Amino acid sequence: MPGSSPGVEAAQPADTALPLGRPGRRAWTSRLGEYAGFGPALILFGLFFLVPLGLIVCYSFWQTVDYNVVHDWTLDNYRYFFSVPTYVRTLWATVWVSVAATALTLLIAFPFAYWLARYVPKSYQKLLLILVILPFWTSYLLRVYSWLTILGPQGAMNRFLQWTGLTSQPVSFFLYDRPAVILVLVYLYFPFAALTLYASLERFDWNQFRAAMDLGATPRTAMWRILLPQMKPGITTAVIFVFIPILGEYLTPQLVGGARGVMIGNLIVNFFQGAQYTRGAAAALLIAALIVVLLAVFRRSLEVEDPYGT
Amino acid sequence: MARDLDIVSRRGWLTRGALSVWALLIYVFLFAPIVLLVVFSFNANRYGTFPITGWTTKWYGQVFHDYQIRDALTTTIRIALEVTLVSTVVGTAAAFPLVRSRLPFRSGIRIALVLPIMIPGLLIGVSLLVLFTNVFHQQLSPTTAVIGQSVYTTPFVLLLVAARLQGFDASLERAASDLGANTFKRLRYIVLPLLAPAILAGALFAFTLSLDEFIITLFLIGSHNTLPIYIYTQVKFGITPEVNALAALLLAASLCLMALAFVLPGIVRRALRLVPRRAG
Repeated sequence: MPGSSPGVEAAQPADTALPLGRPGRRAWTSRLGEYAGFGPALILFGLFFLVPLGLIVCYSFWQTVDYNVVHDWTLDNYRYFFSVPTYVRTLWATVWVSVAATALTLLIAFPFAYWLARYVPKSYQKLLLILVILPFWTSYLLRVYSWLTILGPQGAMNRFLQWTGLTSQPVSFFLYDRPAVILVLVYLYFPFAALTLYASLERFDWNQFRAAMDLGATPRTAMWRILLPQMKPGITTAVIFVFIPILGEYLTPQLVGGARGVMIGNLIVNFFQGAQYTRGAAAALLIAALIVVLLAVFRRSLEVEDPYGT
Repeated sequence: MARDLDIVSRRGWLTRGALSVWALLIYVFLFAPIVLLVVFSFNANRYGTFPITGWTTKWYGQVFHDYQIRDALTTTIRIALEVTLVSTVVGTAAAFPLVRSRLPFRSGIRIALVLPIMIPGLLIGVSLLVLFTNVFHQQLSPTTAVIGQSVYTTPFVLLLVAARLQGFDASLERAASDLGANTFKRLRYIVLPLLAPAILAGALFAFTLSLDEFIITLFLIGSHNTLPIYIYTQVKFGITPEVNALAALLLAASLCLMALAFVLPGIVRRALRLVPRRAG
């Protein structure tokens, strides 16, 4: 990949910060010039990312009266959200689906990454890894959509079942329920997990594994006591980068989840499309709060290094 | 060394075989939906799925003659070009101080800059919707979509350029400075040629991401359509072979662009080796 990046993580000041040009002539203007590059980014991320997020926080504590937002500080939006049993159920279902999908993604990705890092010759590893990431670089919408042609009533799965004679009528069992949502989520986020786990397995020194076994450890003990502890940062990164986007999923439950697969993202969209901005903001903030808690918990062991395989 | 381990573990070959089967299944899992989508786009049957009744390219013909699709394509490309411009300039400019200056709160700034690609796009979409409609009282348009998408694509450019800047030999610049090159000349003859491959890759990333972006655009595009939004509105009424054909084209486009993003930087790097010589 271009530059095979160590990412911003490694962006330490080091001696590159030594001033260029003639020494001794570094006035405050030149130091300002050093930071000038941040200017455009400050506008883009400040005005169009941080300010809007702050706005959502405010909105979640304000009120909508006759389609106008009134700046009265109140907890009504949250009270309303938690007073409707369907919403509360959806919130818990979202957390549950996200946990299940994340766990499943990692469990599926781990043996794969292990195989790739340990059994595949070095010269093929890169190619096979690119093949895994390839679907990830195609349209997100299309990757969800493509499952409709498999899971739908006329889809590949039903055709297969009818062909084998297991069913005579198309069953809609696959589509429009939580299992379908989880399946597609695992599909969508698998490359993230495979990539991060592979990255940490690749760095692992297998001699340690052998040493452990020489000292009498069974392969399983060696795995639990030597390999997994060293993979902890990689696993944490994988969990975060899979779990967070799933929390805010809208499209997957919308297209393959149907009425029974609703997640909180769908609620938020409904609120905003119904011009209930303040209630929608409260629901959005619940997701944001979950994310902040997660990041705070894992901050120490998070590697922001190149999560996209760039 | 993997072989040594296999001798130690007697069931090594069994594990290895099982894992290989597992990996194969995963590749099938990853590619089956995409391959089926393309297969269905050539299927003669009206319903866009099984059974396969014959092969045809007529759905592709219909895609090219649909004026709605052509409209959406124009909007999509216009937005993608603007997003590419914005994120390449902003991302490249920000990479310099990020890598080179002695920043206070470095880790905080780093996380803030990666946050837009970490948090769900849904949050970016709704928060910008509120900003544009309720605070700026702005009509939603392709321009608002450009801003929303740029928030999401710029960090990618930033990461790529920062990585390249990181592995950049600062003594080259110092040498140029010693030989009397001013800031502009150093930038023009030393820094930019060396960074060009990364900037180019970043631009291609941004373009592809913009082309395929869905959720942020959904909130900010207003009454216009991009291709993903058009496909989404069609899919709500069921699968049609035209949408399959359009989807296959869009898949092909993103794959080609990404392949370029992988290959082109190397080519540019080789071509640009000439530049410093000419400048010297």
